[in-house]
Amino acid sequence: MEYAINALLRQKYKSIFISVVFVVLTFLLTSVFFIVNSMKYELNSTLDALPQIILQATKGGKHYDIETKEVANILEIEGVSDAVARVWGYYYFQNAGVNFSLVGIDSYETQSKESLSKIAQSYELQTQEGQPSMLIGEGVQKIMKKNYYKNYFNFIKNDGSFKRVEIAGVFESETELESNDMIVMSKETLRDIFEMPESQATDIIIKIANPSEISTVASKLKLMYPNCLVITKEDLKVSYENIFNYKSGVFLALFVIALFTFFIIIYDKVSGLSSEEKREVGILKALGWRIDDVLKEKFYESFILSFVSYILGVILAFAFVYTLQAPLLRDIFIGYSELKPSFELPFVFDIQTLFLVFFLSVPIYIAATIIPSWRVATLESDEVIR
Amino acid sequence: MIEFNGVIKSYAPNKTTVVHALNGIDLSIKEGEVVVLRGASGSGKSSILSLIAALSKPTSGEVIVDTKKISKLSDNFASIYRRDNIGFIFQKYNLIPNLSVRDNILLPLVPLNLNAKEAQAKLQSVMEMFEIGHKADTIVKNLSGGEQQRVAIARANVNNPKIILADEPTANLDEKLSLGFIEILKELKSLKKTIVIATHDPLFFGLDFVDREIEIHNGSIVR
Repeated sequence: MEYAINALLRQKYKSIFISVVFVVLTFLLTSVFFIVNSMKYELNSTLDALPQIILQATKGGKHYDIETKEVANILEIEGVSDAVARVWGYYYFQNAGVNFSLVGIDSYETQSKESLSKIAQSYELQTQEGQPSMLIGEGVQKIMKKNYYKNYFNFIKNDGSFKRVEIAGVFESETELESNDMIVMSKETLRDIFEMPESQATDIIIKIANPSEISTVASKLKLMYPNCLVITKEDLKVSYENIFNYKSGVFLALFVIALFTFFIIIYDKVSGLSSEEKREVGILKALGWRIDDVLKEKFYESFILSFVSYILGVILAFAFVYTLQAPLLRDIFIGYSELKPSFELPFVFDIQTLFLVFFLSVPIYIAATIIPSWRVATLESDEVIR
Repeated sequence: MIEFNGVIKSYAPNKTTVVHALNGIDLSIKEGEVVVLRGASGSGKSSILSLIAALSKPTSGEVIVDTKKISKLSDNFASIYRRDNIGFIFQKYNLIPNLSVRDNILLPLVPLNLNAKEAQAKLQSVMEMFEIGHKADTIVKNLSGGEQQRVAIARANVNNPKIILADEPTANLDEKLSLGFIEILKELKSLKKTIVIATHDPLFFGLDFVDREIEIHNGSIVR
C-alpha cells in the first residue's frame, strides 16, 4: 500500500491529470443521476396528485370556461363519486417576469387535491375586516418580497383596475415543481380578478370510485359533451412522461459523451504501458516480485486513485445539485424560463445511483490498469529490462 | 552449486531473425566461488547471468542451482527463487529513478510483508555496509554514477542472497570507482557469497580473489 501511494506521488502530474478527468466524469454522471432522481420524485408526486378525469370546454379548438351547472349532470353518471368545478388560471407578474398559478378554493367544497383540502381547513381566506386574502407558495413569496409586496399584492384586472389581496400565509409545498408558484385564494376573489361569472368555472374534475371504470366514464362524458375535452389521468401521465423522456434524452446524450471520453482514456491505458512503466514492472519481477505481487500493487495504486476521485466527484455532485441547485445543468431538464418562479431540486438519496456510478467507473479503471501490467508481468523479465 | 548442462539459448527479436546467444554451454560453479565471465559484447555472458537468475528460460538444456532445476520453474516459483537466492547488480543498475535510496533498497522486501522493524534493520545493515546511509532520502536520479551503483549493490544484498550476479558492473564507472567496486566484491567473497561477474573490463582480469575466469565467445566457452 505504501509503495502504491509512493508510486502515485512519483508520477505526480500524471496522477493529478487522471484524477481530475476522473473527478469531472464522476461528478457529471452523478449530477445527472441526482437531477434525474429529483425530477422523477417530483414527477411521481405530481402524477399521484392528478385528478382522474378533467372536463374542459373548448371553442374553436381553444380551452374555454365551462358552465358550473354541468356538475349536477355529471354526478348522475354511474360510477362518478364526485365532481368539482375548479377556478384557476395564470397571472403574469410583469415586474418579475414570472407567471403565478392562481387556484380558487371554497372551504365548504370537496377539493381537487388533499393538499388543498388541508389549506381550505386550516386558513381563513378572508381577513377579519372582510378583506380578501390568499396563501402563497414559497417561490411566490420570494418574488413578492423582492418587489416590496410583503403583506398584500395588487392584482391588475382586465379593465386595468387593482384588486388588493392580503397575504394570509405561506404554505409548504408537497411537491416543489407543482406548487412553488402557486397562489391559493377563495373562488370568489379569483373570479373577481379573472372577471369570471359565478355560473362558470375553468374546468370540472371528476372522481371515479372504481379506477378501472375511468375509461368507461370518460367515453360517456365524450358522448355527453362533444364540445369538451375529456382528459384522463393516463393521458396526462403520458404527456408528462413524454416531456420528461425528451429531456432525459438530452441528458442521455451528455452521458454518452462523458462515457465516451472515459473509455478513450481507458482504451489508451489498456493499449499498453509506457516504456518506463514496462521497465518498472520488469525490475520488480527481477527483484523477486511475483506476478500477483505486481498486480496487487497495481490494484492498490488504481484503487486509491479511482476511489478517491470517485468520492470527490460524488461529494462535488452532492454540493452542486443540492446546495447550488445544479446551475446550467438543471435548465436542460426543467427548462430555463423567466415565466416560472424558482424551484428547488428536492434531496433524494438513492444508494443505487452511487453504486451504478461506482461500477461504471472504478472497476473499469482498475481493470484497465491491471490488464496491461499483467501482460508485461507475464513476459520474461530479461526481455523487458534488457 | 550452479550447473549448466548443454544449455542453448536462442532469441527471436523478430519473425525472420533468430539469435543464438548460447550454443550448448556446460558449466559448473561451486558454492563461495568467484567467477569472472570474460568476452566481448554479445558473446553471451549476460545470457548466462539471466539464466542463473531465472530471468529467462533456456531454449534447451538444464540450469540447476542447489539441485533445483530452475529452468523448469514456473514464473511465480522463479520469482520466489530470485527473492531468496539472487542479488543482481545490473549494468544500468535498473533502479527506479524517482524513488529515494531507501525505497529502492527496500523494493525486494516489499512482497515479504516484513514488519517495519525487521525491514528497517535489514536496510540499515546494507546501507552501512555499502556506505550509502547518508543519502537514504535522496532521490536516486539525483545521485552520481558511483552512488547509484552502491544503491544497486545494497539492494542486491538486502535479502542476504547466496548468489551475487553482476552484469558489466563497471561499464559506467571511472577507474577509481571501479577499483572501489572490486573492494566491495572482496568483502562479499569474505561473506562466503557465490559471485558471478560478466565483464570485458580488464580491471577484473587476474585478480587474486577471483577463483576462475571463463572466456565466452559467440555463445560458447572457449577457455
